[in-house]
Amino acid sequence: MNYFRRADPAVCGVAGMVEVLTFDRPSALVSRWLCCVVCGLLVTVSAFAAEPVQLTQDGSLKRDARFVDGGRSVVYCYDETPALVRMMKMSLDDRVAKPVFEDAADKHHYEPAFSPNGKWISFTACTGNLSGKLVIRNLESGAQADITHKGRGGTRSPTFSPNNERVIYAFAEKGPQQLWSVKTDGTDKQQLTTCSGVSNWPSFTPDGRTIVFSNSREKNYEIYSVGADGSGERRLTNNTLMDIRPAVSPDGRRIAFVSTRTGNYDVFVMNIDGSNVRQITTSEERDDYPNWHPDGEQLVIVSERDGAFDLYLVDAPPGRTVAGR
Amino acid sequence: MLDFGSYQTASCSGSSRRAFIRTAAAVPAMMTAGLPALAEIEQARRRAKAKSVILLWLWGGPSHLDMVDPKPDAPDDFRGPFGTIATKTSGMHFTELLPRMAARSDKYTVIRSMQTTNGGHPGAGTVGVTGFEEKPGPVQPNFGAIVAKHRGQQEALPPFFYVGRGIPRDLPRRIEGYGGGTLGKAYDPFLVHCSERGDVSIPTLKMLPNMSPNRIEDRRTLEKALDVERYRLDSAEVERWGQTYQSAYGLLTDEKARKAFDLTRESKKTRSSYGRTTFGQGCLLARRLAQAGVPYVQVNWSEYVETFTPNGDFGWDTHIYNFELLQDRHCPIFDRAYSALLDDLHDSGMLEDTLLVAMGEFGRTPKISTRAAREHWQHCYFSLWAGAGVEPGRCIGESDAKAEYPVSRPITPLMTGTTMLELCGIGAKERAEMKVLDGGSIIDELF
Repeated sequence: MNYFRRADPAVCGVAGMVEVLTFDRPSALVSRWLCCVVCGLLVTVSAFAAEPVQLTQDGSLKRDARFVDGGRSVVYCYDETPALVRMMKMSLDDRVAKPVFEDAADKHHYEPAFSPNGKWISFTACTGNLSGKLVIRNLESGAQADITHKGRGGTRSPTFSPNNERVIYAFAEKGPQQLWSVKTDGTDKQQLTTCSGVSNWPSFTPDGRTIVFSNSREKNYEIYSVGADGSGERRLTNNTLMDIRPAVSPDGRRIAFVSTRTGNYDVFVMNIDGSNVRQITTSEERDDYPNWHPDGEQLVIVSERDGAFDLYLVDAPPGRTVAGR
Repeated sequence: MLDFGSYQTASCSGSSRRAFIRTAAAVPAMMTAGLPALAEIEQARRRAKAKSVILLWLWGGPSHLDMVDPKPDAPDDFRGPFGTIATKTSGMHFTELLPRMAARSDKYTVIRSMQTTNGGHPGAGTVGVTGFEEKPGPVQPNFGAIVAKHRGQQEALPPFFYVGRGIPRDLPRRIEGYGGGTLGKAYDPFLVHCSERGDVSIPTLKMLPNMSPNRIEDRRTLEKALDVERYRLDSAEVERWGQTYQSAYGLLTDEKARKAFDLTRESKKTRSSYGRTTFGQGCLLARRLAQAGVPYVQVNWSEYVETFTPNGDFGWDTHIYNFELLQDRHCPIFDRAYSALLDDLHDSGMLEDTLLVAMGEFGRTPKISTRAAREHWQHCYFSLWAGAGVEPGRCIGESDAKAEYPVSRPITPLMTGTTMLELCGIGAKERAEMKVLDGGSIIDELF
């Protein structure tokens, strides 16, 4: 199936302007492998030079891109009006976007997460002034659990456990923002972390044993990993500017994240242990909200280009470019 | 494209000479009543360094700690999660959320010791744009209204514009100090809205249903429509609406005014530089209005102060999601738009005689709340000043180690307004004659 029109990174690394292939995925892998073999004899590719593939064209303010349907569709949130953030789903076949929920009305919807088995969605919904509740909805039955805490406040960044049984999210109930866990039916709410600083953006490894997240206790956001039982915390990044939105790759071996260490928001990838940090985007404008394609070789991101925000597909295959840590 | 009222029309259609003459004749006496003599206006103009003022009104109270006054060595529960970056101003750091502005700090000056008297939005909003509390009243005029009265309406373009979705408000009510106050409603701002695509709309004209560009140039058809509308209004509304309508009609039929609203006349590069957001394009519109001779433009970040509420348009009132929204939305938008506007004014030479001020009504609590956010804080906040003789590249005022209180002379909204007006050539004598900004003093440190 034809999906994307793009420049091949290896080809671009050598020839600079060799353009843009339209290909089906199996043959694309072969052609890219051949290119790599030939070109690899000549040069060492020093950067991910592939041109990002633009998926949307409207330029409206966007966020929270997520692959769904096995990578055939993307869900994202955008400013439908200056006063409404709407969650949309776009098929990559026809690039037509439709609202995820017809019953969203005037409520902002943010940060969707989908269970690995595709049966559940969780997101933050604006339910009133200064109130954002966590919603967990069964996409088959429509049954919904609303996770609330006492007083005003808002949940953030839900993610599902690999066994589809729990949702991990961030919330500040009595002070520092912590990670919480709740069953998909809304019961058994537990606070997972008790650290200082602001904790956010949890992401599971596929085996369910480790959670990767960001925390600000060291004067800016750094990325940490911790066992699902709370043990064995390890710091994965170490610089003076933010490292946020860690997203574990489908094979569990890498983490995509966003950092401002280059002077603006750029997307990086590192190994699951924090080694081998590689810069994926190099635009002078903002690149943000990375989410892995199920094939583990591409990311969908929100990129600002000439002041407009659109979804782009960028390559992030394993074992390439080292831009330094 | 221009969107006048409820329809869109091509920007370059122009108007007939006949239509313009009719419009000029229709400008109400109210708009010229009570203005200073021409000689006085000329004197004031010679004294003025600021032909125009652009106020970027950051409605809701932006967090000073998380933007231009970070305290990285403050305790955990104060400092926030953001790293700091150096600016071009020696010794001054911003958070990492404002990289473009940090790289341009040699073109403007930061005041870190702002202080106001009111900790609630509408009240503090009124103080912020009038210099005085709403109560006991009467409500004082907005700084822009004072400039409007002093300068008068020279051509079709009104002298005092609001760029934004509506009069700033919170859920319960709008701010009282939005307009003419004691000077009268004749000096209320003229409201225009600019979409993220640069489409300009004039909400006033949305009262005219089914009006097309061709029809609106036909005076008889227009007046017939107006008569119908008048039946729906009481007498006070008719008076106010008639005045606003006359201005709107003047804009529609004056080519210079139409050009000012037409952002398609800017290069794609320029339009892009501001960012495709309502605030970004609003800032570009403000520059075009100033370029066209409008003396006072207030660009409102949002209509509603609330940052996260149904139908809210994401003000700076970050009682929840303070860190997330500043990082994801507010600061990237502001950083880009402010920097583009600054560059634009600088590169075009307009910064010589245009005063650019950015501020909100207060700051936010240095101590992080139990909801991992920040509440209202009127005791210490910031403003940004550029152009019209302001010495750039400096940091004025200092806050304490937790950014809770100024440790240098507090700068108040009354001082802000007084300084703005002085730069517009409205000195103590003129202010006394208009009975405005009594007791105000100039922020000498800016010069």
